[in-house]
Amino acid sequence: MSDTNRNRLMLVIALVMAAIYLFPLYWMFITALKSGSEMFATPPSFWPSEPQWSTYAFVWESRGMGRYLWNSLIIAFGSVTLITVLGVGCAYVLARYRNVWVDIGLFLILMLQVLPASLMITPIFVGFSQLGMLNYPRLAVIIAIAAKSMPFFVVLVRATFMAVPQELEEAALVDGNSRVGAFFNIVLPLARNGILVSAILIFMQAFGEFVYSKSIIQAVELQPASVGLNSFMGPNTNEWNNIMAYATIYVTPILAIFVLLQRRIVSGLTSGAIK
Amino acid sequence: MKRLLSSIRDGNGFDIVLVAFPLGFLFLMAGLPLLYNILMSFQEVDMFSLGTFLRPFVGFKNYQDLFALPETWPILGNTAIFVIGSIAGQFLIGFGLALFFWVNFPGASWLRGLFLVSWVMPGLVVGAIWNWILSGDFGVLNFMLRETGIISGNIFWRSDPNYSLYAVIMANVWLGTAFNMILLSVGLASIPGDLYEAAELDGANAWQRFWTITLPMMRSTIGAIISLGLIFTLQQFDLFAAITSGGPNNSSNVTQYWAWDLSFRQYDFAKGATISVIMIVFVMFASVVYVRSTRHEVRG
Repeated sequence: MSDTNRNRLMLVIALVMAAIYLFPLYWMFITALKSGSEMFATPPSFWPSEPQWSTYAFVWESRGMGRYLWNSLIIAFGSVTLITVLGVGCAYVLARYRNVWVDIGLFLILMLQVLPASLMITPIFVGFSQLGMLNYPRLAVIIAIAAKSMPFFVVLVRATFMAVPQELEEAALVDGNSRVGAFFNIVLPLARNGILVSAILIFMQAFGEFVYSKSIIQAVELQPASVGLNSFMGPNTNEWNNIMAYATIYVTPILAIFVLLQRRIVSGLTSGAIK
Repeated sequence: MKRLLSSIRDGNGFDIVLVAFPLGFLFLMAGLPLLYNILMSFQEVDMFSLGTFLRPFVGFKNYQDLFALPETWPILGNTAIFVIGSIAGQFLIGFGLALFFWVNFPGASWLRGLFLVSWVMPGLVVGAIWNWILSGDFGVLNFMLRETGIISGNIFWRSDPNYSLYAVIMANVWLGTAFNMILLSVGLASIPGDLYEAAELDGANAWQRFWTITLPMMRSTIGAIISLGLIFTLQQFDLFAAITSGGPNNSSNVTQYWAWDLSFRQYDFAKGATISVIMIVFVMFASVVYVRSTRHEVRG
């Protein structure tokens, strides 16, 4: 078998495997377009006979999705901003020095990265309620997410700073820059892409966050889309086409960002998590 | 004062300021809750004493009460099945896919990256999709299994206590496989190719090369991935909330969901804190293994 033929065969097998793996995603898109009766047909149809595009508008209106997505955006942007402002400097210092204190700091940060949110929410909730933070539920969620996700961000961004040659910063210092000037004019611009990719990863995580929002935010008009989806799915629901339409609207922006930036996201992710 | 300012602008003070704020924030928002959790597990906490720090101390009573509950051991057992099942599924399928995509062909890296959509999607959405796929009467999974003759009657994945835990495991394997595959691919790519050339010259077949080169060279990667898998599966909450809510009758309940359920459904914050403390000790143990296996990276 020649090389081209072998490559073609491999590509076909890979496409089949990707199709099988991504079938649940396809099923979500397809179900959203089915009518109520087609959805429960046996055997199920794998292509909608009459696509019901109006389901999207109906779900958007009846579930108040605009408000849910707006809250998700606020929470995601708030946590990304807080994490970036705090985390970039921390990652820079941890990348710049190599001594026992940096090792201890990294160890502590890695340990904090692994605490499950559903186990930490009990003390966070009780503590926040004692401090009166529950009166600002979205801010409380942003702070909780920031504390949860910042370690991951620091590990990823640190890997980026490690790749910036220290000689460049030293040259800037010799040329008369202060430490502050060298950091903002030389180091940060060089690490910009890595920081951006890590921030996008954090954004996607925070956009789908559920445990903290579900436990802390009681008022429906302040809840994000994940909590909205959860309350849409009752135990005995049969509105699956509407639920899948909701899920499609919710997840499509994330999928779009991911497909566009796939290469950068994958390489950014792998550089930090493992070497 | 002036010296302090100039140190912050142009000296070590700059580094200290940069690192002090984030570490302080993390200590306040992650470290203190951790300690507070331990404190609460030794206190009597109810809705009336929620507002004060000085609650009556009860020693190990919460722990004793917890293990006296009839559901505690089954739930711990479920957690073990969930963790082992999820990690085994994610790792084996992920390793298989990584080996396949290791054979380089045009489009391989792009397609491989595409698998990761399962990992970037919100957990609730993944749960909703699988909830529908696993539906008893109209679920597409039951249809496919019936058509291929594997089952004769419908399986009620979500409401049959014999299957509910495996329904969540299935969804979790789907969610985590891609992440395992990507990390394993990175490990595979870092094995020097001349090792295989040398082995081939010595007459080793593909099977022998896999066992004597690939697996030993991947040892630290595999260690890191298994412990990362343990950490991630113990964090998995959204799928339980979206698919079974721990039911029916706790048959698919696991500790990380139960801790939340105790605190926020039954308002028994003390027991919620107690089970949290027990699980956090486990997770900490896993993370020590993880940190050790990535130590060469941590040291730079």
